[in-house]
Amino acid sequence: MPEHIAEVKGLTKKFDDFIAVDDLSFAIGKGQVYGFLGPNGAGKSTTIRMLTGLIHPTAGEVLIDGESFSRNRMRALQQIGAIVERPDMYKYLSAWDNLRIFARLSRKHIPADRLHEVIELVGLKGRESDKVKAYSQGMKQRLGIAIALVHDPELLILDEPTNGLDPQGIAEMRELIKTLGTQMGKTILISSHLLYEIEQVATHMLIIHKGKKVVEGKVSDLLNPNETIFEVRILPDDSIMSKLQEKGWGQYVAEGGNSSTLLFRMHPRKMPGLNKYLVEEKVHVLEIRSKHSLEEYFLSLTNENNAGAGAV
Amino acid sequence: MLGLELYKIFRRPRTYISFLIMTAVTFLIQLAMYVDGKSFVSFAMAGVGEQFDIGGNILNGYLVTYIVLQSLLIHIPLLVALVAGDALAGEANMGTMRLLLTKPVSRTKVVLVKFIAGIIYALLLLVWLAIVGLGLSILLFGTGDMINLKSDAFVMLLEHDIIWRYMLAFAFAALAMTTVAALAVFLSVFGDNSIGPIIGTMGIIVVLTIFSNLEVPLFNTIKPWLFTTHMIAWKGFFDAPVPYDAIWQSVAVLLLYIVLFITATIIVFNKKDIQS
Amino acid sequence: MRSVMRVGVLWVMLSCISIQSYAQADSAAVLFENLRSRLDVIKDYVADVRIKIDISFMKVPPLDGKLYFKAPDKMKLERKGGVSILPKNNVSLTLNSMFPTGGVTVIDAGRDIINGKTVKVIKVIPLEDAGQIILTKIWVDEARNLALRTETTTRDNGTVKMDLAFGNHLKLGLPDKVIVYLDVKEYKLPKGVTMDYDASQQVKPAVKGDKKRQKGKIEINYLKYEVNKGLSDKIFMETN
Repeated sequence: MPEHIAEVKGLTKKFDDFIAVDDLSFAIGKGQVYGFLGPNGAGKSTTIRMLTGLIHPTAGEVLIDGESFSRNRMRALQQIGAIVERPDMYKYLSAWDNLRIFARLSRKHIPADRLHEVIELVGLKGRESDKVKAYSQGMKQRLGIAIALVHDPELLILDEPTNGLDPQGIAEMRELIKTLGTQMGKTILISSHLLYEIEQVATHMLIIHKGKKVVEGKVSDLLNPNETIFEVRILPDDSIMSKLQEKGWGQYVAEGGNSSTLLFRMHPRKMPGLNKYLVEEKVHVLEIRSKHSLEEYFLSLTNENNAGAGAV
Repeated sequence: MLGLELYKIFRRPRTYISFLIMTAVTFLIQLAMYVDGKSFVSFAMAGVGEQFDIGGNILNGYLVTYIVLQSLLIHIPLLVALVAGDALAGEANMGTMRLLLTKPVSRTKVVLVKFIAGIIYALLLLVWLAIVGLGLSILLFGTGDMINLKSDAFVMLLEHDIIWRYMLAFAFAALAMTTVAALAVFLSVFGDNSIGPIIGTMGIIVVLTIFSNLEVPLFNTIKPWLFTTHMIAWKGFFDAPVPYDAIWQSVAVLLLYIVLFITATIIVFNKKDIQS
Repeated sequence: MRSVMRVGVLWVMLSCISIQSYAQADSAAVLFENLRSRLDVIKDYVADVRIKIDISFMKVPPLDGKLYFKAPDKMKLERKGGVSILPKNNVSLTLNSMFPTGGVTVIDAGRDIINGKTVKVIKVIPLEDAGQIILTKIWVDEARNLALRTETTTRDNGTVKMDLAFGNHLKLGLPDKVIVYLDVKEYKLPKGVTMDYDASQQVKPAVKGDKKRQKGKIEINYLKYEVNKGLSDKIFMETN
C-alpha cells in the first residue's frame, strides 16, 4: 500500500517551445483535501490533464495509488474520478442517463442504488430525469461530481469547481466539498486560482507559478501568523543566492523571487537580523515590504501575471 | 460500451435526419418514376430503341430500386459522415471527451466502439434503404426483368435472377459505407468540432468520385487505388456475368483502406493530448 | 455450205443452251413459288420460343416466351409480364419477311453444301422497286421443299442472313430453329451518365475497323407451334 494516493515526480510538459509545467513534484496523502493553487496560466490545467491521463507528459510521471499512467493507464484511471475544466455532459440526455453511461464505463458493476445515493449526495434528487440542457451551471457541476464519485474512486480531482457559479452556488459547492472531505474522508485534489476558496476547504496546498512549484505545505502552517512573507527589492546581484545560503538565510527564501526581488518567509522578529546581514554584505537594499499573509503573497504572483507575462 | 454508444447516437435528433432525407429522396424518385417513368425509360432506352423494340414492364420495382440506389449510394456516404465524423470530434466539441477519457476505458476501445457504432448506423441506413427503396418500389411497381444500361452494354436480367444480386449489392454497399465510416472516424480524431471532419469526409469523397469518373489518362493510373472507384462495385452484381474477380479486388482494396484508417486513428488517438 | 452448216450447228447448240437455261430458270422459279406457297398456308401462329440474343453489347439471357406471328409481317414476343426484346419492326425474324412479295425474277445460282447436304441456291429479285428487299438469296432443300438459308439485302438494314433448321415441325414447314445474323449499330452512353463500375480497370483497346457496325446474331428455338388460330390484330397492339 503506497503511502500516497497520488505522486507526481519531475512532471514536465512542453508545447513546442513553451514550457507549461516545469519539473513539478508533489504528493497527495490519503484523506487530504489538497488545494492546487495558481494564477490563471500557471500550468494547473495542464498538470490536472496529466494527472487524469488526458495529456502525455514530456518528462516525469504521475503515479496514482502506485500505478503510473504510462505503465497501467486503466488501473490508474480506475482510482480517480475527475471533472476537468467545465463539467460537460451529453446535453441532450437526462442527468440520470449521463450518470448511468459514465458509471458503466468505470469497469465496475455499480448498482442503481449507488446512482441514487450519489444523486442525493450532490443534491440533485428529483431533477435526475431532466435533460442536462436545462441544468444550471451549479447543477452541472454537482452532476459532474456525482459522475466523478459514482465508482467510489480513491482520488477525486475537481478542477475549479466553483468557476461560473453564483455566490449561493459557490457556498453550496464549498459545503459539498467539505462533506466529501472531512465527513466522508475522501482524498480530493481541488484546483483554484482563488486562495480564499482553497483556504476554506483544503488541508494541504500547493501553489504553482509559471509551471513551477512555489509553496507547498499544510494550510494551517502556511497561514500561520508567525510567518510573514517579506519582499526585499535590491539592486540586481547574481551572487545573492549563494551568499544567502552561506550564512544560513537560505532556509527562509521563498520561491518565486529573482535576482532583484527576494522573497523570504520568516517570523517578523528575524527581519532585522536579515536586514543587518544584507547591509554588511553591501547588498543595496531599495525596499523591504512585509506581505503579512499568504493571501498578499499569492496576490502579488497573480498581479505580476496579469501585469506582463503572456503565459496562457 | 457499444450499447451506450448506440444509445448516445440514437437519442439525438440529428441521427434521424439521415433517415428522413433518405426516405424523402427515395419517395421523390419513386414519385417521379410513377408519374413520368415512361418518358424516362424511353429517353434512357433511346440508344437501344433505335434498333430494338423493347416492350413489357420495363419500369418495374427492380429498375426503380436500381435508379434509387444509383442516386442515393453517392449520398449515403455523406449521411454516414454526418454520424461517423462526429464520433470523436463530437465528444471533443461537447467537452465530454475529458469525462469519457478519464474513465478507465482504453482509447483504442473508444475508437473501435465509435467505429463499430458508425458501421451499425450505416447498416441501419442501408436496411432502411432496402425497405423503402427495394420494398416499396416492388410494392408500387411490381417485379419484372431488369434492364441495366451501362455505357457500353445493355444488360438484361431475368426476374427470378435479381433478388440475390440486390442482397449482395447491399452487402457490398455495407462494406463501402464501412470504408466511409472509417475515413470519417479517422478525420474525426483531428477535429475539435464535428463540422471539419464531416465536411472533410464529404469533400474527399466528392473529389475522389470525380477523379474516379473522369476519363483522363492522368487519373487512370491512380484510379485503381482510389476507394471511390471501388465503392460502386455493387453495380458489378448487375452485370452479366458478374465480374467476381474485380469485385473481390474491390473488396480487398476497401478492406485495406478500412484497416489503414482505423489503425491510423488508433495510433493518433492514443498519442493525442486531449486539449479540448 | 460448210459455213452455213457451222452456223446451223452453232444455232442449234445455242438454242439448246438457252432452252436449258430457261428450263433452269423455270425450275428455280417453281422452287421459289413452291416455297412461297407453302409459307402462305401459314396465316398465323403462336409459338413457345426460347430466344438467344448474341450481340456484343447486349447482355441478355435466353428469353422464354410466346412468339405471336400473323402474316405478312406482324410479330410480337410476350413474356408473362417480363421484358421482351425484338429487333425493330421485326425486320428479319421470320422467313416471310425474307421473301419478296409480288412479282419476282428468279435466277438459278448453282449449288452449295449446307451441313453436308447439297442444296440449290436461287436468287430472287423483286420486280417492284418500292419494297424493302433488293435481293434475296435462298438455299433450298429441294427434296423437302424447305429454305435452309437466306441472305437478304434490304434497302435500310443492310444484309440479313438467316439459317433455318427443321425437325419436329417439318410437317408444317416451320423451322425448329432460326438463326438470324444481322448488322447492328454500336451502342454507347456517356460514362458520366451511367457511372459505370469498370470491372476491367484497364483502358480498353480500340476496336479496329468499322466501329459503327457490328455483327449480331439472334437465335430462336421454336418449341411448340399453334398454327392458324385466327389471331386478332389487337394482340399486336402495344399494350404497355
